[in-house]
Amino acid sequence: MKTVEGRDTPLNVLLVEDSPGDVRLTQEAFRNINPSVQLHVVTDGVEAMAFLRHEAPFQQSPRPDLTLLDLNLPKMDGREVLALIKGDPDLKTIPTVILTSSDAEADITRSYQLQANSYLTKPLQLEDFETLVKRINDFWLVSSRRPHPETA
Amino acid sequence: MMSTLARKMQFAFGSAMVALLVVGTISYRGMVASGESDSWVAHTHKVVEKLHQLALAMESAESSSRGFVLTGKESYIATYDASRVDVKRTEEIIGRLTADNPTQQRLLPALRRLTAERLALVDKVVSLRRTQGLKVAAGAIRDGRAQLVMSEFVGLVNEMQEEETRLLELRDQDAHRRLIAIKGSLIAGTIVGFLITAVAAWVAQHDTDRRELAEGALQESERKYRTLVNGVEDYAIVMLGTGGEIRSWNPGAEQMTGYKYEEVAGQNYSRCFQIEDVERGRPDEILRIATLSGRYEEQGTRVRKDGSQFLVRTTYAATRDHTGTLQGFSMISRDLSESMESEAKYRGLLEAAPDAMVVVNPAGEIVLLNLQAEKQFGYSRDELLGQKVKNIIPEGFAERLIADGTRNPAEALAQQIGTGIELNGRRKKGSDFPIEIMLSPLESTEGILVTAAIRDISVRKAAEKHLAQMEGRYRGLLEAAPDAMVVVNSAGEIVLLNVQAEKQFGYSRDELVGQKMKNIIPEGFAERLIADALRSAEDALAQQIGTGIELIGRRKNGSDFPIEIMLSPLDSAEGILVTAAIRDISTRKKAEAYLLQKIEELNRSNVELGQFAYIASHDLQEPLRMVASYTQLLSKKYKGKLDSDADDFIAFAVDGASRMQRLIQDLLTFSRVSTKGQELLDTSSEEALQRALINLRGAIEESSALVTHDPLPTVLADEMQLTQLFQNLIGNGIKYQNRGIPQIHISAARNNSKKWTFSVKDNGLGIDPQYFERIFGLFQRLHKREEFAGTGIGLAICKKIVERHGGAISVESEPGQGSIFSFALMEVERKS
Repeated sequence: MKTVEGRDTPLNVLLVEDSPGDVRLTQEAFRNINPSVQLHVVTDGVEAMAFLRHEAPFQQSPRPDLTLLDLNLPKMDGREVLALIKGDPDLKTIPTVILTSSDAEADITRSYQLQANSYLTKPLQLEDFETLVKRINDFWLVSSRRPHPETA
Repeated sequence: MMSTLARKMQFAFGSAMVALLVVGTISYRGMVASGESDSWVAHTHKVVEKLHQLALAMESAESSSRGFVLTGKESYIATYDASRVDVKRTEEIIGRLTADNPTQQRLLPALRRLTAERLALVDKVVSLRRTQGLKVAAGAIRDGRAQLVMSEFVGLVNEMQEEETRLLELRDQDAHRRLIAIKGSLIAGTIVGFLITAVAAWVAQHDTDRRELAEGALQESERKYRTLVNGVEDYAIVMLGTGGEIRSWNPGAEQMTGYKYEEVAGQNYSRCFQIEDVERGRPDEILRIATLSGRYEEQGTRVRKDGSQFLVRTTYAATRDHTGTLQGFSMISRDLSESMESEAKYRGLLEAAPDAMVVVNPAGEIVLLNLQAEKQFGYSRDELLGQKVKNIIPEGFAERLIADGTRNPAEALAQQIGTGIELNGRRKKGSDFPIEIMLSPLESTEGILVTAAIRDISVRKAAEKHLAQMEGRYRGLLEAAPDAMVVVNSAGEIVLLNVQAEKQFGYSRDELVGQKMKNIIPEGFAERLIADALRSAEDALAQQIGTGIELIGRRKNGSDFPIEIMLSPLDSAEGILVTAAIRDISTRKKAEAYLLQKIEELNRSNVELGQFAYIASHDLQEPLRMVASYTQLLSKKYKGKLDSDADDFIAFAVDGASRMQRLIQDLLTFSRVSTKGQELLDTSSEEALQRALINLRGAIEESSALVTHDPLPTVLADEMQLTQLFQNLIGNGIKYQNRGIPQIHISAARNNSKKWTFSVKDNGLGIDPQYFERIFGLFQRLHKREEFAGTGIGLAICKKIVERHGGAISVESEPGQGSIFSFALMEVERKS
């Protein structure tokens, strides 16, 4: 059993994001906030599903403790990825948080219908962004208890 | 007539007697002939009988002789002798009877010879019987000679009988013929007699009828005549005896003299004469002249029963029977005093006529005139009487009454009767004036007089001239009209048009006049003028007057074009005409279509622009977020680690990116007012205000602003936008403040048009009135960026929100005195 506090046991976070700027900002933010977070990055929906299902080239990929999912993605967009995750008995227990620049009502509603665990809008200011990442870390990675993969 | 009838009757009866006589004669002769024929028939029968008797006698002689031979009895001899005598006698009778018949006479000797020879043979047998006995006698009987003689005898008798029979037939036929002839003549005679009698009877009857009819007609005509005479009241009609005694007296006479018939019957007609006339023997003289000349007419004074005198014109005529014997006189009188009265009436009529009346004789001279004629022509009556009509009507009048080569005066006049002729009259002072004359003939003792009614038509002429001028002007107006003008009659035919109409429809004037309006405006025009079951033609027209109706016109070449027509009625002698002003609205129609198209394009482009603004703003945000984030990251990581220039540069970049982000945020908000607006619903403005205050919490706390408000109403609004509106206005009130605590008060007042006017009053900087318009424009700012941050979009958003709610936003302010922003929202309609 891994402990959340254990610095030697990394927390795996899958970031599905095609914008390199946002990837870097997120990486920077997590580095400052929680260095034990191992941020895995894929840039489209197809890769995301391959990572989650340990398919090539992600045979060795870990099961993420949290997935941060952008909605607008190449090849397979975030809504489809969300639907696949939540439709998969094995994957649906992975907390999946939508992190997007869209503040459209339709996107928010649709995401919750597809059982997104939360919906977050990317803040415009760096400061605000860092605050948000800190809150994600505190809530999903620190405070929340997650089911054990084997028992899920 | 009587003698004619008598002659006819005599002739008829004579004819009948002759016919009967002829019939009688024929009958008598027929009877006689018939008697002769009968006696001849009897004679023939007698001859045949005697021949038969002769044969029988011969038989008897022979058989009795044989009886004696056989028996020897003497009684047979006696019979035999008797038969011999009988034969002789019968032979003689036959000889007598056939004396007139040569054929029989020729045969008679042979007959006598045969009887004699036969009888001799019988005698010989008888004597043989006596002398030599039965046997010898019987042998003699059987002698062939006797048989031969007997058969010859029988054949001869038969021949003679046949001859008689032939004669009998001939005579029978003869008698029959005679009988038929007699019958025919009897029948013919009877018919002739009957016919003659019938004709005579008819003639007699007819003559009687005619006589009766003639008598009836005579009575009828006398009755009529009497009725007529009695019916005449204007004339006294009197029958006088040869000596002048009054025999009949009609009501006219009674009326004229005052005497009843009973009073004057049988008296001398001189009773009505003046005493001096009677003394002069005037009544007798009159009758004498009338007797001599058959007829006499005279004029004289008579005396009424009441003694008053009166003037009469009387015609006397002697009446004679067919033999020429004087039977009396007829006297017909007319009361002239009455005709004088009527002349006075006539004159009154003449004078009362509104026109000048002039009576002209065949010589063209004026014989009578009225006061109007004096006035019109400026002459006195005396000056005009006897004057030539040519002097007052120089031309055209006299000529009209004068015969020329092709017509006589009566015809000349007849042609002019009753027609109004326009001529010129000339006044005494020489001036001319237009007149209209009407002529009528008046037969008089002086020949045909012509009565001319002369009307001064100066005024009418002037009016006509004026009318013609007006018509000319009207036509000018018609032609000057910029529209096609067409005048249409009630049959839908064009009666008048202007040159524009020719141009517009491509027809020449001649082609259009008389043409059906339907040919140039196929639909909707004629129908509008036509009565249907619900309305009369007038009503139909009245409905259309003055309204512009858009229809389609058709040119001569068949092409159609849009028109607008205006109708107006025009009362004329031909009935109601309709003037139609027809405007070619092709250009206007095109312009309208163009405008519509442009509006549509504009709307589309506006929508597109709105969408573009939204999408652009939205998509710009992403890269801008990167710029902002990384410049901030740069600033955070490297501030103070590079030189001071680098710090400045990074600060500018961070600031620029932030401002640009706000700008885009505001632009997005601005464009969302129209693109993302929600439906207007019942909204509590107070709740919207509270929401705005929550959003502004930071600013309020920071500035310690004092925001107060009155109770606010529920209005029809988009709640999000109303919140935004309050937020922007209050935010401005807090922001544009130099010193002190911002004080903001929100109130709402209901005005009379079901609207609430909201006011947001602040104690801020105030605004120079010259900027009142400008502040509501997009990107409009009144302050430097160093003084007050802002994008210049806030009030533009406010304006747009208020406008979307159907209102207007305004500001009252003075610099340094704060500002009051006001806007109106619709009240919620109470449902109950």
